[in-house]
Amino acid sequence: MIEIKNLRKSYNGHAALKGISFAIQKGEFYGLLGPNGAGKTTTISIMSSILKPDSGEVIIDGMNIDTHPGQAKQLIGVVPQEIALYGDLTASENLHFWGGLYGVSSSELKKRSEEVLHLFGLYDRRNDNVKTYSGGMKRRINIAAALLHQPKILFMDEPTVGIDPQSRNLIFEVIEKLHKEGMTIVYTTHYMEEAERFCDRIGIIDNGQIIAEGTLKELKSNSALKEVVVVTYDHADESKLKELSAQWPDSNLSENKISFYAADVQSALSGIISGSGQMGADISNIEIQRTNLETIFLSLTGKQLRD
Amino acid sequence: MIRLALKDLKLFLKDRRSMLMTFAIPIALISLFAFAFGGVGKGNEETKISMQISDLDNTTLSKDAVNIFTTLKNVDAKVVPIESAQDAIKKGKESNVLVIHKGFADSLADGGELPLELQYDEAKEIEVGLLQQSLIPKVATIPFSLGNPKAMMASRFEKMTENSSPELKENIQHQSDNLFETLSKGIAENSTTQDPSSAFFGNEVKMTKLVAAKKDNGLGLIQAVAGTAVMMLLFSVVGIGMSLLEEKQEGTLKRLLYAPMNPLKILFGKMISANIISIIQLIVMFLFAALVFGLEINNHITGLLITIIATAFACSAFGVFLASFAKTRQQVQGLSTLIILVMSAIGGSMIPIFFMPSLMQKAAVLSVNYWSIQGFFDILWRNLSIFSTTFLSRILVLVLIGVILNTLAVFMFRRNILKMS
Repeated sequence: MIEIKNLRKSYNGHAALKGISFAIQKGEFYGLLGPNGAGKTTTISIMSSILKPDSGEVIIDGMNIDTHPGQAKQLIGVVPQEIALYGDLTASENLHFWGGLYGVSSSELKKRSEEVLHLFGLYDRRNDNVKTYSGGMKRRINIAAALLHQPKILFMDEPTVGIDPQSRNLIFEVIEKLHKEGMTIVYTTHYMEEAERFCDRIGIIDNGQIIAEGTLKELKSNSALKEVVVVTYDHADESKLKELSAQWPDSNLSENKISFYAADVQSALSGIISGSGQMGADISNIEIQRTNLETIFLSLTGKQLRD
Repeated sequence: MIRLALKDLKLFLKDRRSMLMTFAIPIALISLFAFAFGGVGKGNEETKISMQISDLDNTTLSKDAVNIFTTLKNVDAKVVPIESAQDAIKKGKESNVLVIHKGFADSLADGGELPLELQYDEAKEIEVGLLQQSLIPKVATIPFSLGNPKAMMASRFEKMTENSSPELKENIQHQSDNLFETLSKGIAENSTTQDPSSAFFGNEVKMTKLVAAKKDNGLGLIQAVAGTAVMMLLFSVVGIGMSLLEEKQEGTLKRLLYAPMNPLKILFGKMISANIISIIQLIVMFLFAALVFGLEINNHITGLLITIIATAFACSAFGVFLASFAKTRQQVQGLSTLIILVMSAIGGSMIPIFFMPSLMQKAAVLSVNYWSIQGFFDILWRNLSIFSTTFLSRILVLVLIGVILNTLAVFMFRRNILKMS
C-alpha cells in the first residue's frame, strides 16, 4: 500500500533523512517510533506530499506521490499532532469544512459528519464552538476531521497527547475499529503501550535512519536484552546474599536487592525462589522487568522515547 | 524593586516590537509632520504655489502683466491656454487660473476696471487664499507699472462724485492728486511694504469657483469619510492578512496543505475573503456617512462602487502581501502600523494633501490612500464621469497596485509561508 524508497532530505546542510526505506502492507498498522528530531515528522510530511524529498520516492497505492499528489492525497487522511481546527466554528462546521476540501458532496458530508460525531461521542455538542471543548474532545474532533472522506490510509501523529483517560479509551476504540475495518494506519507516538497495543509492525527511526523494524516479537528476539527479576530480602545476612548471587550466572547484588538476568524470566523465577529459601533469605518483594518496547528503544537509540 | 524594574527594562529592550512602537513610529510620524507643517527640509527654498495664467487679451500690455505675475514671490506661474487650464482644475491637477480677459489693455489705458478673474477649485480654497495674499498686492501695482494710474484714479473719483457740486469735485480732485503722489512715493521707496494702493485696485480680481461645492456634499465631509475609511480599511485588511500567520501558528495551514488542492488556493481564498470584507466595510462606511451625516451618494452609486471595489482590491492586496512578506505576527503588527500611518499621512487620510509641501504632495502618489481618496473626490466632489480619463486613471492605478501586491504575495507565500508550515 505504501512504499518508501531511499528518502533523503536535508535542511541547511543537516541531513534529516539519510536514505530511509520501508514498506507498509494494505490494512497494516505501522508504528513509527523515534525520539524528537529523529526524522518522523519529515517522513510523514513527505509521505503526505507537503514536503519534497531531495531524492527517493513515495508510492501510495501504486501512485508516485510526486507525480500524482492530488490523487494520492485523496487516499490519505492526516491527523496532525496539534489541534488543527477553527475554534470559532462549531464541530459540525469544522467537519463540513475539512471534509469539503476532499470533494465530499454536501449530502454525503452531512451523513458522514453525523456518523463520526456519533462515533466520537460528540453528537450532542455538535453545534458548540470547538474552542469551548475540553482538550480530549478537541482531540476527538481532530481525528474525526481526517475521516470524513473515508481515506484508505490514515497518518496519525501523536493523536492522544495530553488527554483524559475517557477520551483516550474512546479514541483507542475508534482506532481499533478502523483497523479492523481494514484501514492502513501509520502511527507515531511517545506512548509505548499504545505502540505495543496497536502496531502490527514497528519501525524505529533515529538520526534519519530506520535502525530496527519488525513485529514486537521480532524486535524482542532480535535484541540482546535479557529480562530481569529484582528480589528484595528482609533482614538477610550479607554473606548469604553474596553466596546466592554468586550461584546465578548473571546477577547483581546491591544492598538487600539482587537483580537476576534471564532470557526467560518465567522459567527462572521458580529457581530464584527455591534458591532463596534454601539460603534462608526471606523475600519481601519480587519485581519482574520484562523486555518491552521501551527497553528495546533505549538499547537501540541510547535515548528515552521522550528525549 | 530595582531588580524588577531592571528586569522589565531588559525585557523591553529585547522586544523589538515595543521598541518600534515606542521610538521608530513616533520618530517617523514626527519627521513626517515636521516636513508637512514645520517647514523642515525646505532650506532656503520656499514652497511655491502653482498658478496658471491664461492671457485672452494677448496684447503687449497683457504680456507685460504676465511677466509681472511670473515674478510673484512664492508663486510658480506658467502661461497655459484657458481650456487646458480649466481642464487641469476640473481634474484636480491644478488649483487655479488667473484669466486676463479681453479689454485688459484698454482698461489700463482708460482707467477702467481691470478684467482679471481668478478661477479656482473650491476644494483647494486654502491654497488659493495663500495665492491671493501674493497676487492682490501685485495686481494693485499694475496700473502704476503699466497704465495711467493718475487717469485711472481720476476716472474713479469722477464716477464717485458725478452728482456732487463743482466745488466739492475740485476739492476731491485736489486730494486725489495728493493721495496719488503719496502712493507713488510709498511704492517707490519700499516695494516690500504692503502696498497701500491695493485698497483701490487689488480687489478688482474677480474670484470664480470653477469647481464649486455642490449643495449636496461638503468637502470636509468627503475628506473625513474617504480619508478615514481608507485608513481604517488598511488596518482591518492587515488583520485579515495576519490570519494567514495565525493559521500557520495554529497548525490549520499545515492541515490545509494535506488536502488535495493547489496550495496557492489557500492564498487566493484569503485574497477573496479580504476583498469581500473590504468592500462590505467601505460600503458600510459610506452608507453610515450618508444616513447620519447626509453625504449624497444616490447620484454617484456606480462611480462610488467602482472606487470602492478598486480600493478594496488594492488595500486587501496590501494586507495579504504584508502577511506573506513577514515571518511573524509581531513583524506584521509593527510593519503595518508604521507603513499605514506613513501612507495615511502622506496620502491625505489624516490631512488634506494640499496642506503639504510640494515634495510631500509628489510622494503622496506612492500611497494607496492618495489614489483612493482622489477617486472618491472625483466622484463625490468633482462630479467626474466614470468614463473620464482622470477618474479611470486613478482606478487603473489602484488596480495595478492590487495586481502587483497580489503577485508579490504569491511569490512571498511560496517562499515564506509554505516553507515555514
